[in-house]
Amino acid sequence: MRQALRLVRALLRHHHRTFFVAVGGAAVFAACTVYSAVVVRMITDEVIDPRFRRGTVSSSKVVVVLGALILLGCVRAAGVVVRRTFAGRTQWRAAESISAEVIDRLSEQAVPWHRSQSTGDLVTGAGVDAEAATAVLSPLPFASGVVVLVGLSSVLLVATDLWLGLAAVAVFPLLIVISVKYQLRVEAHYDTAQDELGRLSAAVHESFDGVAVVKSFGAERRETERLAVIASRLREARLGAVRLRSTFEALLDALPTVVNILLLVGGAYRVRAGAMTVGELTSCIYLFTLLVFPLRLIGYTLSEVPHSLAGWNRIRALLDQPVAPNPADTLLQGVDRNIGVAELHFAHDGEREVLAGVDAVIEGGRTTAVVGATGSGKTTLLHLIAGLIPAGRGTITVPTGGIRLVFQEPFLFASTIRENITMGEDFTEHAIDAALAVAEAGFVHDLPDGLDTEVGERGVSLSGGQRQRLALARALVRRPAVLLLDDTTSALDPNTEAKVLANLRATLGNTTVVVVASRPSTISLADDVLFLDGGVVVAHGRHDELMQNVPRYRRLIEAFEHDRAALDADADADATSGGGV
Amino acid sequence: MSEPTSRWTTVETIGRGVRAAPALRSGFGLTLGLALLGAAGRVVIPILVQQTIDRGFTDSGVEVDTIALLAGIALILVLLATWAQRTAVLRLGRRSEEALYGLRVRLFEHIHRLSIADHSEERKGALVARVTSDVETLAQFFQWGGLAWLLDGTLMLLVAAVMLSYDWVLAVVAFIAAAPLALVLQRVQRHLVSAYDLARSRNANVMTQISEVVAGAETIRAYEAGPHFVRAAKRASKERSDSFITAGTIGAFLFPSGEVFSVFTVSAVVGVGVLRGPGSGLTAGAMVGFVFLTYRFLEPIAEFTEVLEQTQTAVAGMRRVLGVLEIPIGPPEPETPISLPSGPLAVTIDRVDFSYRTRGDEDEAPVLIGLSAHIPAGQQVAVVGETGSGKTTLGRLIARLADPSAGTVSVGGVSLTRVANAELRRRVTVVPQEPFLFEGSIAANLSFARPKLSLAELDDAVDALDLRDWLDTLPEGIETQVGQRGAQLSAGERQLVALIRASLVDPAVLLLDEATSSVDALTEVRLTRALERLARGRTTIAIAHRLSTAARADRVLVLDRGRLVEDGPHRVLIEAGGVYSRMYESWVAATTSTD
Repeated sequence: MRQALRLVRALLRHHHRTFFVAVGGAAVFAACTVYSAVVVRMITDEVIDPRFRRGTVSSSKVVVVLGALILLGCVRAAGVVVRRTFAGRTQWRAAESISAEVIDRLSEQAVPWHRSQSTGDLVTGAGVDAEAATAVLSPLPFASGVVVLVGLSSVLLVATDLWLGLAAVAVFPLLIVISVKYQLRVEAHYDTAQDELGRLSAAVHESFDGVAVVKSFGAERRETERLAVIASRLREARLGAVRLRSTFEALLDALPTVVNILLLVGGAYRVRAGAMTVGELTSCIYLFTLLVFPLRLIGYTLSEVPHSLAGWNRIRALLDQPVAPNPADTLLQGVDRNIGVAELHFAHDGEREVLAGVDAVIEGGRTTAVVGATGSGKTTLLHLIAGLIPAGRGTITVPTGGIRLVFQEPFLFASTIRENITMGEDFTEHAIDAALAVAEAGFVHDLPDGLDTEVGERGVSLSGGQRQRLALARALVRRPAVLLLDDTTSALDPNTEAKVLANLRATLGNTTVVVVASRPSTISLADDVLFLDGGVVVAHGRHDELMQNVPRYRRLIEAFEHDRAALDADADADATSGGGV
Repeated sequence: MSEPTSRWTTVETIGRGVRAAPALRSGFGLTLGLALLGAAGRVVIPILVQQTIDRGFTDSGVEVDTIALLAGIALILVLLATWAQRTAVLRLGRRSEEALYGLRVRLFEHIHRLSIADHSEERKGALVARVTSDVETLAQFFQWGGLAWLLDGTLMLLVAAVMLSYDWVLAVVAFIAAAPLALVLQRVQRHLVSAYDLARSRNANVMTQISEVVAGAETIRAYEAGPHFVRAAKRASKERSDSFITAGTIGAFLFPSGEVFSVFTVSAVVGVGVLRGPGSGLTAGAMVGFVFLTYRFLEPIAEFTEVLEQTQTAVAGMRRVLGVLEIPIGPPEPETPISLPSGPLAVTIDRVDFSYRTRGDEDEAPVLIGLSAHIPAGQQVAVVGETGSGKTTLGRLIARLADPSAGTVSVGGVSLTRVANAELRRRVTVVPQEPFLFEGSIAANLSFARPKLSLAELDDAVDALDLRDWLDTLPEGIETQVGQRGAQLSAGERQLVALIRASLVDPAVLLLDEATSSVDALTEVRLTRALERLARGRTTIAIAHRLSTAARADRVLVLDRGRLVEDGPHRVLIEAGGVYSRMYESWVAATTSTD
């Protein structure tokens, strides 16, 4: 409960004004509701009774009473409008504030932090949890209004008739307790059902994605049975809710009715004793009927609290994580155009060292290929130079003028090709076209909307090779001093790859290019080769020198060419004699 | 989808829906009767008030005994009604959950049996949506809307009946005074629906923007584009809040309009009642009872507009679900299957055309055109061609994941349409391009091919393909978890698992769809080795992306835009100087180092 109060206070920090307007609306509603019971008494005692028992009633009286009824109804409705409007405003403005805070934090955190998190959790945090955390604000003004309502009604009931009033008021806590208990329990069932539904959706997704495998192995029936079991769990969870609901809903309907009947009997005695009028009795019963729904709302509001708290706690957990310093700030600015790496160590999660003391000077203006077996730390080295991840030990010196990294798996944003290349910066049409030309991404101009073509989430509408070329153009348009290419042309067909590499050579005269490569054709285009093995630089020099002098290097290149080697032996022994093998 | 269903009216859809889910109909009359009895519990108070005022508070004094008697009857009625309501709600809930479960299972089975032509990429999402979100709209309906129809519908009927029995003139006055409310509500409801549609799409937009900030974090960092994306995400979030506030404001006017109409209607009833006076047969009790009944009558109306909207959504969902069940399953099982000869099997493709189905009954542009080839038993064939040439589709036709639009494919001299599906799956096996692994262990994925194999038998299969050394590099060997869609393994390793899985079936014809993704050198060696062992003694058709595979094959089929343009051994085609030799040249250039 204290937690809930703290949550509400935190949510209302910037939005208390709209919130209190909403509470005001709810209070007006409550007052009008109670007063309408008075009007019902007047209708009974001063209009209907005189007309039907004594024969006459003054028409002015009728007009006044009915006028009061209509006025009251309209004011009451206005109260509802104000309350709902401002409650919604409070909730959504609060959600907006929270989302903004989370978004800021997400962009502040460095790459290693992002790698340690699950994407789904983070997105849920910023999008869904903000809504969940603030959901409690929506029924809260009404709930506060209900408190006013209960208070005023109690006063009115007791004032109308002490004993009857006390008896009726005594039932309120009972109704509240039952409805709160019920709501909490039924919500638990709905939560279970929601989880089961999530599981079913995931399983269906997987099963339909794998439909080719399912068919290949004739497993249609087995898959159907597997899914049916998951679906039956969903059904059971829902049935649990249905059972609870049917009983409690009926009970919560019946209880006020029973109390009302008892009130009527008790009231009859009081009327006979002359303690109250028929109108007063009617208005008591009327008031009691009006209270049933608002009382249940208290249960509903309280059942929102756990959800909101859960959402809020997830958000707090996210916001409370410390922001690590930006690794890019640890890069040293060099005086020349070279990239210097000294005694560089790096380990994932503090375990096995991927880089164990790398020393190298990568000369400015030249193209250097980083070569090594899978897991030799090539990508890690590039990410360190780009300032994305912090080094464990050692220093990295980089030239001024910007470093751009093109990732192995290019990431495209769900917007237009233009947006993907500019990423919010200003570039002329000419500059973009030039970058596209170097990256051999002329296909863009054949698309129906050209640069303004939407690429879909993660660039789904494009092929892997097209995505790589756009990612390359994204780096080229920025004319960086250092261009880091992480196996960027792997998804291109050999022809296109050769063209891209030739273009890069022709246009990047002054640019320092560091390229991770595994295709012999790519490696042979580089000026220098940096050979990584066992976390250190084993050799650094020209490709042909390394082929001659470094046996380990030669074996690796031969493995890359294995495909070719097998072919030469099998089918075409004399076609390419004197090749790389 | 080819949807005759779009022509179905609401009534027709509901009718067919009930037939598809018969649990809905069984005992519905009894449920309705119970609900009506339950509703009676909610008009007890107005009637009791009326009776008490008219019979209990007579001019001669207060008849306490009469009132107590009436209250006793009312009490019994309430208890009875409570039981009836509970039973009705429970029955509806049980029947609908039963029906939805049945519907889901029917959908699973039907969708799994659809032709692969109906499982194209763009349709996959739609099929998943049918089973999840569309059935879910039905579930939501039964939980709220359906229940409201049952409880509030019967209540309104009953209240109207009681009002008419008290005094038909006043009842008509009440109905007329309340009627415009329905129109107002419908109007506002329409605005509300479009406002919420907008809000929901803005909500989806927020999720997209934030997921970009998260999933693209590395790229954003590397290009220092943080502020740009933060601005975009915040803008999306503000727009979402704006649209939810707008929708909320419209909603804020919707519900209280019922309140306003209530007071006008009550005033009209009281006014007219007072004008007519006791001479018309009206009593004071009936008048007071009317006040109560009018509130009861109008109470559910505001909710009803919501229920109507939800009903429409549910009917639309049902229509889409039925649409899927209307798609014929394929390829159909032969009526009189012919069994395949034992031993290796030849594959014959005879003048085959193929097009994927799109929306409606139109076919897309043809993927294969007039394709013919005979592949003798035991031959190793590679099919090459650029992306979109139809090679993958050809593989699918040979495995009969779909039937050709024209022409025939035969295996072992028997047309595929005459082979029982189970036998075909056993004899012709596909190793797909991006082999799909289910979340679970490697062992579990292997067992998918033959469910009841022991761990030792699985191990034998691994050894048979000479993959022990690979399996030993994995942390938990054959029990290693592969993750969602096999994400914990590399693309090459997923292929290895798929090869072992295929070997367990011991097929006569093996269809290999090679991966395009790059594979590290060691895995490449293992793949080649395992493949060679697997292919031994089987007719093997490789859909090749690497020309080294083609060079090793006995024979190469070259496809170009759906047509077979070249057919012959590697060396012959190289010398012929056609499409294939050009493809080969550029591939050689890319994989040779210049020194």
